[in-house]
Amino acid sequence: MQIFIQQLVNSLSVASVTILIGIGITLIFGLAGIVNFAHGEFLMVGGMITWFLVNSGVNFFVALVGAMICVGALGLVAERGLFRFTLERPMNGFIMSIGLSVILQHLVIRVFNEVQKTIPDPVGEVWVVGGVNIIAMRAIVVALTAVVVAITYFGISRSRYGIALRASIADPDTAALMGIPVRRYVTGVFIYGSVLAGLGGALMIALFPITPFTGSVVIIRGFAVSLIGGLGNVGGAVVGGLILGLVDGLSAGYGFPEWTDAYALVVMIVILIVRPQGLLGGTLGPRATG
Amino acid sequence: MKEVGEKPASAGEPARGIAPDRLTQPSPVRSSGREFGWLRLPSGEEIVVAIILTIFLIGFPWLHPGYRFLSLAITTGFTAIALYGLGLQFGQAGIMSVGHAAFMGIGAYTAGILAGKLGIGFWGALPFSVLFSALFAGLIGLPSLRVSGQHYIIITFCFCALLNIAFTNGGSFTGGATGLDVGSIDPVFGINFDRLLNAYYLIVVALFLCLLITYLLVNSSYGRTLRAVRENEVLARAVGINANVQKISVLMVSGAFAGVAGILQAYYLRHISPTLYGPFPSLYLALMVMLGGSRLLYGPLIGAIIVSFLPEIMHLDPIDSRIAYGICLLVVILLLPGGVSAGLLNLYRRLLSKRR
Repeated sequence: MQIFIQQLVNSLSVASVTILIGIGITLIFGLAGIVNFAHGEFLMVGGMITWFLVNSGVNFFVALVGAMICVGALGLVAERGLFRFTLERPMNGFIMSIGLSVILQHLVIRVFNEVQKTIPDPVGEVWVVGGVNIIAMRAIVVALTAVVVAITYFGISRSRYGIALRASIADPDTAALMGIPVRRYVTGVFIYGSVLAGLGGALMIALFPITPFTGSVVIIRGFAVSLIGGLGNVGGAVVGGLILGLVDGLSAGYGFPEWTDAYALVVMIVILIVRPQGLLGGTLGPRATG
Repeated sequence: MKEVGEKPASAGEPARGIAPDRLTQPSPVRSSGREFGWLRLPSGEEIVVAIILTIFLIGFPWLHPGYRFLSLAITTGFTAIALYGLGLQFGQAGIMSVGHAAFMGIGAYTAGILAGKLGIGFWGALPFSVLFSALFAGLIGLPSLRVSGQHYIIITFCFCALLNIAFTNGGSFTGGATGLDVGSIDPVFGINFDRLLNAYYLIVVALFLCLLITYLLVNSSYGRTLRAVRENEVLARAVGINANVQKISVLMVSGAFAGVAGILQAYYLRHISPTLYGPFPSLYLALMVMLGGSRLLYGPLIGAIIVSFLPEIMHLDPIDSRIAYGICLLVVILLLPGGVSAGLLNLYRRLLSKRR
């Protein structure tokens, strides 16, 4: 039972990073209508920036904020410079984001190298709760994620900005006539998602080593989470992340560890085929053909 | 039936993912007026281009390309064959896939397993590779009937990753992470394919066959129905086209092309491993097709040539060439949404109209 609880805590912290990236994707894909395949690379870049700053002697939590700002700026450049022009042709945007991910990945290899990077545990404490060892950093990751989820959820469902955002997704023309700057909201969502990717990257490198190829592994999990829950649905992303995290953690503990990645993929394919709108329902995302 | 396929500009409501006017302006199917039964005959210009290409491909070894360039040409050849499948399904039917290397993998592993377990050589394994790749492509294509657009693309990516895990964990059957070895291609009519030059001609023959099949499919009534489904599926169904059969069949043809490419690659490299058929190669295949342009006959070939030869000619190391490749792709998508081939065709038409 203790082993089970420990597994549970560990998978919860892994799930947190997945949820962060999943929320970013679910917002950008479901609300801004952009399929950003480079989102995983954004996370990887965030992790790399954190690693670089921590290695130059900056406190981890300052480095975390630095990574969020840098990746947010990256998101701004990408949206203004690239995705803005393909809003009417999401398919082209999708292909462009694959190109962007290739560029980012190899730029990071060019600037640093392809060896995996780690930072020392920034907190380095272990709490013992009822006989279960909990690494403090993991608890902090879970708590930060919970805060982000709460802010995002209430921001979208309650605040006037969230309402304006949902209005401009439901009917861009009418929303624009009501004085909502629709395009600016798209940019805003994109940047917000990118900032979350930066945060996710910083938290990820605090838990595991990161390589320049981490992004492509993470992106599939991010898509899985957002599609399982339903696009544009923050609560759905949380549920999706928990499902995926539990499947992973438990299969690594009890099942066949070499097939760990496969379970997530199978879950995702089945849900995509059986319930394309996701478990909790959401938008279907932009339509794309040829 | 003909009208549906020939009127891409008016079909498809404006809300669809693509602005029809910008992409189909340099339409590959300009009615040349000459029809032979169900087939549109090539125009004079097309015949000239085909003859020039034939002469170039056959004459290429006489330019003394050296070992490096000849092997690059072979790599380009089998990549192009796989790209033609992808070009057919994306350009004609509008179904993109970012898991296409998986079908090459099926072809290659079929050949590898047949060679290792049963001792069947290249020629015996070829039909099986094609068959299995096509069947798998059809099977994985089934969800495309239910979900569309990006959802299906993500499914293809997942299948590719899943298959890669299966190849890696397949134990002695698939050789695990190290992969499988295959022998050399059995000689036919005394032609020894161990010589690089002969291997090159084998690939050229395969490439020509694949070009011919693509031309026949695109310019027949089958191709026109595919485009009808792509432009407006509801309308296509309403006029009695069985869109499901059309989609699955084009995916199977595409898979068969990938199977041929896979077995050729396996016997060229003599060794296959899961990393050759994972998500990364799949992404690069998708990027190549977009770079070259998927709707015109020579688009995929141009994409393969650019990607294989540009780094070599410009002396870029692999990392720089990947960066350059990504930037090229962004530029092409932003400025020439129809790919390099459509850009070239546009340029040619503009020059032609100026002279008149």
